[in-house]
Amino acid sequence: MTNRYPEWTYSAALAALPLQTPLRLRRLIALDTASHVWDMLQAGERPLVGVNDVVWRAWHKADASLLVSTAEACIDSSMTVVSMRDAPYPPSLLGDPSAPGVLFMIGDAGAFHNRRVGIIGTRHATQRGKYFAQLLGKQLSAAGVSVVSGLARGIDVESHVGALSLSAQDGCPPIAIVASGLDMVYPPEHERIWGEIGRRGLLISESPPGTPPEPHRFPMRNRILAALSEVLVVVESRATGGSMITVREAMKRDITVLAVPGAPGIGPCEGTNNLLRDGCGPVTDVTDVLVALGLDHRHMTDWCEGRPALQEDERTVMTALGRVPRSMDEISLSATLSVVNVAVILGRLEAKGWVANTNGWWEALVA
Amino acid sequence: MYAAIRSATLFGTRGTPITVEAHVGKGLPGFTVVGLPDEGCRESRDRVRAALLSSGFEWPLRRITINLAGGGERKGGAGMDLAIAVGLLVAEGIVPVEAAERCAFIAELGLDGSLRPTAGMAPLVDAVSEFEVVVAASAAAESMLARPSRLRPVTSLLELVEVLVDGTPWPNVAVPSAHVVVDAIADMADVRGQSNARLALEVAASGFHHMLMMGPPGAGKSMLARRLPGLLPRLTEDEAFTCAMVRSAAGMQVSSAIASSPPFRSPHHNISMAAMVGGGSGHIRPGELSLASNGVLFLDEMGEFPPTVLDSLRQPLEEGVVNISRAHSSVTMPARCLLVAATNPCPCGETSPLGCMCAIAIRQRYVRRFSGPLIDRFDIRIKLVKPSTAELTGGTAGESSAVIAERVARVHHLSIERQGCLNSAIPADLLDDVAPLSRDAMSWLRGKLDEGRLSGRGYHRVRRVARTLADMNGAEIVVNTEWVEAAFGMRVPITPIIERH
Repeated sequence: MTNRYPEWTYSAALAALPLQTPLRLRRLIALDTASHVWDMLQAGERPLVGVNDVVWRAWHKADASLLVSTAEACIDSSMTVVSMRDAPYPPSLLGDPSAPGVLFMIGDAGAFHNRRVGIIGTRHATQRGKYFAQLLGKQLSAAGVSVVSGLARGIDVESHVGALSLSAQDGCPPIAIVASGLDMVYPPEHERIWGEIGRRGLLISESPPGTPPEPHRFPMRNRILAALSEVLVVVESRATGGSMITVREAMKRDITVLAVPGAPGIGPCEGTNNLLRDGCGPVTDVTDVLVALGLDHRHMTDWCEGRPALQEDERTVMTALGRVPRSMDEISLSATLSVVNVAVILGRLEAKGWVANTNGWWEALVA
Repeated sequence: MYAAIRSATLFGTRGTPITVEAHVGKGLPGFTVVGLPDEGCRESRDRVRAALLSSGFEWPLRRITINLAGGGERKGGAGMDLAIAVGLLVAEGIVPVEAAERCAFIAELGLDGSLRPTAGMAPLVDAVSEFEVVVAASAAAESMLARPSRLRPVTSLLELVEVLVDGTPWPNVAVPSAHVVVDAIADMADVRGQSNARLALEVAASGFHHMLMMGPPGAGKSMLARRLPGLLPRLTEDEAFTCAMVRSAAGMQVSSAIASSPPFRSPHHNISMAAMVGGGSGHIRPGELSLASNGVLFLDEMGEFPPTVLDSLRQPLEEGVVNISRAHSSVTMPARCLLVAATNPCPCGETSPLGCMCAIAIRQRYVRRFSGPLIDRFDIRIKLVKPSTAELTGGTAGESSAVIAERVARVHHLSIERQGCLNSAIPADLLDDVAPLSRDAMSWLRGKLDEGRLSGRGYHRVRRVARTLADMNGAEIVVNTEWVEAAFGMRVPITPIIERH
């Protein structure tokens, strides 16, 4: 059989086979070049021991139309497809026991060769956690480090927002690993940053185009996230959840896991505080991460604060607020100011971007 | 042959005098009631017949026609039973016309001829108070709310006929005259912590601003709301009597000792629209909105109320009265109440700081049940958090209601002197005169308008609340930035914001 299509289309088609799993795909890719494997399947040769009858029947039905439609979808969203056999495949994944056989990417694969730090955390983060993730993303990007994250709500997206807040010259292209197909934006409110990462960084997924964001794909995505990171920073995490899965994946691979200390007794900080108790290194600012990467951190010391400076009374309220979420009553008690005063000052601080309020709980947006 | 007897019927919260005409004449024996009676009225026929027979009178075997004269309005209630019975007795020549003419009759008849109270005794008696008003002895106390000059309580039809026929003196029934008593209301001193909510409550009372509290269970939303009547000035005698009249019209038991505390109504969320704003089939009854007039209407778990019921509150709250219109009639009832609503911020009811894990879509769906225009009616919207154990057990007790009520009364007095109404009711075109903004305050508010964080309606509302805050703090006529900022801070957005990236 003669090959009429470029090699990558066969990789994409193998990934898009019905009932495909990462393990089966990896084994298929390991057999031979994608086009040869595809020809074998088309010829009716059952290539693997691990393929049962149900899967085989499904695979056997696949024909050239799958090949064409997958390739067209990839071209439509300007995706590139790399298999483990191709040169742009990230070197850090090559030796990985559960590496994805085929990766779909939008953007510049050169980002794989940057220094890379994973920043992850809960979707229901505190305002302060989100602020910290953003700051960390921005400062790491400024230090020439690619921020690796999952583009989920909460901490994930904030780290990328921070990394992209710098201009293309000042920052470093971020890497996002998503669970759905690259043409299926999830969550929908991240559409803008999804596109921007494709343009200025690298957006990758092991799912072929058109794959919906099914729940089981998120934990699988986390293993790639962990494997791509040199250092993994957990900004906030509950005691269980997706972030903890990523942490386990990172620990399996001997990747340094760092955690940001949080207020005790606050749900979103429980997991990170547990990590610290169990011996993870703490991150209180970007220096800790740069040191873990073995990078020069000296030029990072004079970070410029962009928000309007604090007035005297505002500083009093900020001090009273501290680093845990507090109610207005608690602030007014510890600052010994009247409630009206505190309310007015908090309003000003909120407008200046120093504090944020969630359901009556106020948080200081400081690192 | 013919008789015309005075009685009264209820339209909404007000009684209207009517004339019950009775005609007994030739024709096939029968008994008809005309003049737009409702179902309850039509049942009078059987009650009156039984009561007359039980009292030992002959039932005329002739054609009996009763006409409820007065307008083309539908008449309801059992209060005209007695008038119909007396009308028949006069038409039969048993009771002299002159004796019946001096009186008005308002009572329901028992089958044994006894007199019973009917719903709305006070407004009914009020409608005919210039006559000798004959009522059931058991309804005497409630009837006294209308302060009639000559109330004649009797226990049975027979007793009444004796007085009317023989001219014997009216039976002596001890009737306590209605009076206002100062009753106890839950005190604000019981509330520990929650200084923010206390302040909001005081502002709400001072300016009569509608208020929405959002907070998890256990934050003290209901506790605070129940104490709000204690912050409002006690009712004047007139107001107290009016409130009692509305309660009477709603068919509630009213004693001669009238509470001077502003009413507090807290309807359950399964309430129907008719029960909320008034109405009902047949004759129109006042709803919770009217019962809470001059006081507080508290909607706990606002999210659970049917949206149609909530939206029906909008127009009455704006106008201070509620109009119930029917094909046959239209009734206006008072609805000047302070609306206080409480809701959870989301379905989970998590109380720990930032413990809520509800997806943003779920939280949005939860608050989207409240229509924007209704949310806009709340001048004050605050978020409460559950107080810490230390605050609950250790914290110092706050000011008592009496102290706060004194300050509230001062602001009421001040605002009435200045603009003739409370601050929440300042017309938009008068705002520049009674609550002019300082230059800074104006530019600050304009900034919020430009940012889109304030609607046009919200702009006026913030200014009214700022006026109240300034009044509470004894500020000059010009409203400073400080008060505008504080007022804006008391108007938190309730919809969770989707962070788009």
